[in-house]
Amino acid sequence: MSVKAFKLVPAVEWEILMGDRPRINIECVECCGRNLYIGTSEGSICHFLLEEKNSPSEKTPFSISKQLHKYLSVRKAVGELKAASALNRLLVLCDNTITLMNMINLEPIPTGARIKGALMFTLNENPVNGDPFCVEVCIVSVKRRTIQIYLVYEDKVQIVKEFSTREQPCAVAVDGHYLCLALTTQYIILNYNTGASQDLFPYSSEERRPIVKRIGREEFLLAGPGGLGMFATVDGISQRAPVHWSENVIGAALCFPYVVALDEEFITVHSMLDQQQKQTLPFKDGHILQDFEGKVIVATTKGVYILVPLPLERQIQDLLASRRVEEALVLAKGAERNIPKEKFQTMYKRILQQAGFIQFGQLQFLEAKELFRSSQLDVRELISLYPLLLPTSSSFMRSHPPLHEYADLNQLTQGDQEKMIKCKQFLMSYLSEVRSTDVANGCKEDIDTALLKLYAESNHESLLDLLVSENSCLFADSAAWLEKHKKFFALGLLYHSNGQDAAALQLWVQIVNGDIQDSTRTDLYDYIVDFLTSCSDHELVWKYAEWILEQSEEVGVYIFTKRPLEDQEKNSFNPDDVIRCLKKYPVSLVKYLEHLVLEKRIKKEKYHTHLAVLYLNEVLRLKSLGMERQEKLTETQAKLRNLLKRSDLYRVHFIIDKVAGTDLHTECAILYGKLEEHDKALHILVHELKDFSAAEDYCLWNSESKGLPYRRKLFHMLLSAYLNSSTSNPELNMAAVDLLNNHAAEFDAAWVLQLIPASWSVQLVSSFLMGAMREGLHSQRMTEIALSLAKAENLIYKHEKVKLKESPVLLSDRKLCQVCQKPFCEPAFVRYPNDTVVHTHCAAKRLVNSNTNHHLSSSSGRT
Amino acid sequence: MKPDGKVVLLGDMNVGKTSLLHRYMERRFQDTVSTVGGAFYLKQWGPHNISIWDTAGREQFHGLGSMYCRGAAAVILTYDVTNLQSMVELEDRFLALTDSASPDCLFIVAGNKVDLTDACAFLPESEDKQIEKPPNSFISTKVKKQVHVNDAIAFYRKILKYKMLDEVNAPAAEKMCFETSAKTGYNVDHLFETIFEMVVPVILQQKAEGLPQTVDLNNCKTAKNTHSGCCR
Repeated sequence: MSVKAFKLVPAVEWEILMGDRPRINIECVECCGRNLYIGTSEGSICHFLLEEKNSPSEKTPFSISKQLHKYLSVRKAVGELKAASALNRLLVLCDNTITLMNMINLEPIPTGARIKGALMFTLNENPVNGDPFCVEVCIVSVKRRTIQIYLVYEDKVQIVKEFSTREQPCAVAVDGHYLCLALTTQYIILNYNTGASQDLFPYSSEERRPIVKRIGREEFLLAGPGGLGMFATVDGISQRAPVHWSENVIGAALCFPYVVALDEEFITVHSMLDQQQKQTLPFKDGHILQDFEGKVIVATTKGVYILVPLPLERQIQDLLASRRVEEALVLAKGAERNIPKEKFQTMYKRILQQAGFIQFGQLQFLEAKELFRSSQLDVRELISLYPLLLPTSSSFMRSHPPLHEYADLNQLTQGDQEKMIKCKQFLMSYLSEVRSTDVANGCKEDIDTALLKLYAESNHESLLDLLVSENSCLFADSAAWLEKHKKFFALGLLYHSNGQDAAALQLWVQIVNGDIQDSTRTDLYDYIVDFLTSCSDHELVWKYAEWILEQSEEVGVYIFTKRPLEDQEKNSFNPDDVIRCLKKYPVSLVKYLEHLVLEKRIKKEKYHTHLAVLYLNEVLRLKSLGMERQEKLTETQAKLRNLLKRSDLYRVHFIIDKVAGTDLHTECAILYGKLEEHDKALHILVHELKDFSAAEDYCLWNSESKGLPYRRKLFHMLLSAYLNSSTSNPELNMAAVDLLNNHAAEFDAAWVLQLIPASWSVQLVSSFLMGAMREGLHSQRMTEIALSLAKAENLIYKHEKVKLKESPVLLSDRKLCQVCQKPFCEPAFVRYPNDTVVHTHCAAKRLVNSNTNHHLSSSSGRT
Repeated sequence: MKPDGKVVLLGDMNVGKTSLLHRYMERRFQDTVSTVGGAFYLKQWGPHNISIWDTAGREQFHGLGSMYCRGAAAVILTYDVTNLQSMVELEDRFLALTDSASPDCLFIVAGNKVDLTDACAFLPESEDKQIEKPPNSFISTKVKKQVHVNDAIAFYRKILKYKMLDEVNAPAAEKMCFETSAKTGYNVDHLFETIFEMVVPVILQQKAEGLPQTVDLNNCKTAKNTHSGCCR
């Protein structure tokens, strides 16, 4: 678990500082901009200039030059140094007194302003007063348990506040109105404006030196029990988990996102983002660790060193190189606020992509997918890892510097076929997900072609879906690949989507004929039929029509009968041409004629006759075969009868000639019916077939939509046929009785009574008589009602007429036509029921205009 | 990211606070080392981010407790059902830490390690553990439960008394006392999810209170009527 976050670089060696005086120690350090100040144990201050070099490759990234070495008036240790650059002043604590010096020449200021009686002091880096010409200084006074706040100007100091604490303060940090204090047994937060205090947590100052370090707005870092670095806000809340230092920490500094701590032997680096220890640097005898505007300085009593942070990107790259993706991402994300937004986004995207490839390399596809997706990876980066997947025409170049270390998948998987398959499955799912998203913009061809190749190679069922739906597969590349993998059906689809239907068909026909092998579709023939049915290239349809029909007459005919409506409307398939084509294929021909006659209801005699003849021939053929095809015969015969009954267009005489001499009596009867030769028809039905129910049906369907009298006439004829037979047949008599009783309403009772034999009893025909009576009464009553209604209506009209004639219509010069607003010049006028009077020609015009007409009728309706 | 609410786990060392949290967040049981200081997790619960603080139970870190508890929306007081002392410690040491929690803080009492007691020998162990131990030895490791649910409920009532809360207004003791096993996962999700469900209204209320102080004109008028001295 280590990152190289910092590099320890010596800054000031003992020799340049003190030369040959070994008993003098470094007591404190201050750094402000390029100025580095060192306070010594013998009351002197050394000023250096620190120049950063721009080239990071050099061993020391800065150069140092000594400016001044100044002795103070007292030979006591310099306790603390703080620069106030805005005032050009250096605050020096020595012998419990804070003096102000010129920052550059280290001369005391002439007014001699100073703060006496200070044990330690600190500057408020986030002052509330907002005066740029002063700094706020907080001191721990030599007076017991006393804190003072001063404002320090260029040449004067001014006390603003003094207050006492409940215990002696040992360390202090300031932010805004808040002091964070280490008392002897407790850390507290004190608002010096309101005096409110908040205990943080207890500790023991006897056991350890307290650390109070401001780390940002309203947040402090404190040394807690058990070597913990505790974070605390001014509200007394810990918002970050503590970092775990060693027990004997001397100092702490912050260099985002790291917390640096110093103990007797090591400098440790913890991340504030995940609280993990990231780096340990051995460092003996250190006693000062401080950060100055991002520079971390560490010092022993004899030398000063700078902890140079390595560039963040470098750290991230190091983490990625050691495959610590999580940490790299946390670090990158944590840097967001320190880097300009645009730069950050570019950098972060790239890191996400790199991380994605690392996860990919470890076959952690879920994580990789998420990273690729969120970083909007150019999918071709991924595709290009797979050999041969990118189309030859693709202009894609991998990004430089590379996002990963892999040449291709073979290297990544080291030839492990199982891994290879997993990688391919991942790419398939990933591509199919992204192909419809924004990521695919600009490289749709590459994506779809790669996807097609993967599908084809792995026999994936989605290959067909891809080709059937809208896609951008590159033709040449895809065609070669499909051919290589013998996906001929798919290849046909590819041809089709590229407008090469002829080539597609040729290929498919070859598959059906067995010339080439592809078992993708077992129902390929049906597919071709469907394809041709909806194919708009009619020449192609004609070209393959024969082949289609030879395969199956029943199904093949669909290419003519199931064409889409718009095709049928255009009439590009002339029925006569089709019929000519179908001559060789009788089954197809029947189907086609059925389509014309029964479905499309084309009213052309020749199709109807043709179909009837074909049915008839088939019936006769089947009859000659005997009993074995009984079922088929019944079916065909039913079709024939149905056609004969329903159609009025076929040539009846022609058919009758054909039927005559066969035993197709029913058909014969139907045909006679068509010719209105009902007595012949009924004769056949009654005397030859003796099928009485058929005879009744005959009467019913022949009189359909022809009115009651016609029906009556037919029933009378049937009754006569039953009764007038030369030989008195009891069977026919029974049929007659049944007919009368069942269809009482269809007969003229008076006529029937004359016809039936006198020998019949009343009881025999009682049902008929009752029905006839009821029917007679009913019709009489209905007629009476109709008559009365008509009379009433007539009366209403009369009433209206009288009402209208009641008052005269006066026509004068001043009376204007309501339509054209002109006077009447001639005596003729039109008066509407609502008393509106208009010109005759205006009324005529209005009648034409439906709108006004409507308006008029509604207005008249209201009166 | 600033969390919307805070849930804190308190309890004596070795009662299984870290394991409970680990079981809930990572869905598995792992032997953990003694927590140093504290650690926290962020849990997305609906639109809210809830931070869950795992504290160190060791006496050494006791002083940090009240800082972790400050502003907490819920405190889970955890004990070990096989160790009576862990319950005693809750009352003696940990209850006082909750003084800094938010005034409407919820209190939950959770007894962990029920998998070790004979009362729940029927509980399914997680599969991997079952393979490790043959069943007979696994029964013999069972120990007697030292703290029962009734004790937890009694303790919960003490908390309410300590907080000077009316039992009628506070959530029912039966609802706020749980027995869990971080090892088998028994009741762990139920514990945390119940808490989150109850914490969300508290968060919403805190958010509402945190809004910039606005003057309610209606209230203002009534106030004026009572202290009308200045207007005259």
